[in-house]
Amino acid sequence: MAAPFTRVCRPLWRIITTTTLNKGARNISSSRQQWSAQNVKTAVAASPWALHGAVCLQRLPVVSQDRSPIEEEFMELMHQMELERSLLSDHELRLLEDAARMSRKQEEDYDSDEEDEDYRDKEIVTAQDLEDTWEQKLKQFQPAPRSQGVDKKDMGSSELCLADSLILLVKKDVGSQKLWLLPQIQWQMGETLRQTAERALASLPGADLKATFLGNAPCGFYKYKYPKDIQKEDSVGAKVFFFKAVLSGHKHLPLEKNSFAWVKKDELQDFLKPEYLKQVRRFIMAL
Amino acid sequence: MNTLLNKALLLQNTRALVCAASSVQSQVLTTQMPLGLLLTNRQYRSMPTHGIGKYRHLLPKALPKKKKDRVQAKQIKAATATEFGVFNVCVSGYDMTLVEHYSQYIHNLCNHLDIKADESYALPTKSTEVMVMQEQGTKMYVDAVLKTHERVVQISEMKATLLPILMEVVLKNQPEGVQLCVKQHTEVDFQSRFKTRPELEGLLAKINN
Repeated sequence: MAAPFTRVCRPLWRIITTTTLNKGARNISSSRQQWSAQNVKTAVAASPWALHGAVCLQRLPVVSQDRSPIEEEFMELMHQMELERSLLSDHELRLLEDAARMSRKQEEDYDSDEEDEDYRDKEIVTAQDLEDTWEQKLKQFQPAPRSQGVDKKDMGSSELCLADSLILLVKKDVGSQKLWLLPQIQWQMGETLRQTAERALASLPGADLKATFLGNAPCGFYKYKYPKDIQKEDSVGAKVFFFKAVLSGHKHLPLEKNSFAWVKKDELQDFLKPEYLKQVRRFIMAL
Repeated sequence: MNTLLNKALLLQNTRALVCAASSVQSQVLTTQMPLGLLLTNRQYRSMPTHGIGKYRHLLPKALPKKKKDRVQAKQIKAATATEFGVFNVCVSGYDMTLVEHYSQYIHNLCNHLDIKADESYALPTKSTEVMVMQEQGTKMYVDAVLKTHERVVQISEMKATLLPILMEVVLKNQPEGVQLCVKQHTEVDFQSRFKTRPELEGLLAKINN
């Protein structure tokens, strides 16, 4: 007797993924008039989600990355090939001419009138002399150091890893706990989300950061619900829109270590919550 | 009668072959025709080899070469809410290989991301002379001549959501010693590419005055 074969149907819980970038773009408008017009329409039905604007501030790499050994070897090989294939430059031709002239001078039956007219000027300053003066000048030149010698543990300084791009994180209290997140602030009526992001950057305590925003459209999005005890009829959670910005200007004062951090992309997981990290990782490029 | 016909046919065949070579000889042959057989030069349309040597109909239509008109200024498209208008990405620097390779990289990136790159041109090279003051004395002498090269990639009708991504990639891959500048394209930018015509302007000024 065969056991009855029952098939258990599990209901498929569809995880509603966060909205795409396009939707985000449609919500944002670049002119104030359009925004206020939209506001009039939505004043009737206010959404239970609070809007936040956040900024993903990046410090771009200052120096190029170091080459791996293979890359070094290849570069040497290419340089050598190029040198062997190239033609002589003016300066090199002059060097050869001067050398030939010197050897001619040593001979017994040398007649200086047989030389060219423009020999008179070159007699005083030969090409070799020029080369020597140039080498002297090069020795006096001091290039800037490739690493500013900042301790790796000091996350507050923006001079950390000059060869990588770093992202700014702030420690904020959200509800009852202190979390590391990208600087964000609540959206106010009558301003565009990009202005919210700019405000978020400007309102950071103790930081005087000048940044250029890349475009009016947001690059990422994160949605979270408030914990059950805070949730009310008209505030279920918050939606955060991220904007990309690039740090401008060179010297910045080191920021407070406890509340600010400049991190690379692979160090992000030590700081951010998993859900948040998953969304943020989508738009941060580690090039 | 048969032999005559055969002869005539044979002669006709040979004459057809010779006709392909030159038409002068065919006239000579016709005079030599026996029995006054009138063989004309023309090949009839029913002949299988009719029009065998024609090729002009296979070539592409070559329009009569007209004189090059003045380069018209293209209509500069305005920006809409979701798309940018026309803007220029200028790459400038002292090292020509770096500047050119970087501008090529930007152009290829645009092609890869399906962004329309309208034009890609070079602006004239600017030479800067670096003069150094002598230690003892007031005379300055030329120390070095630096050449600034500039390349422009013109992009039109790009989606606004794509700009932050493109800008970030381009900025992160910027080589050392190369400056990047992104600005809107205006009529002035277009006109600055043309050479000035001083004698024309002088004459115009004279007419107006």
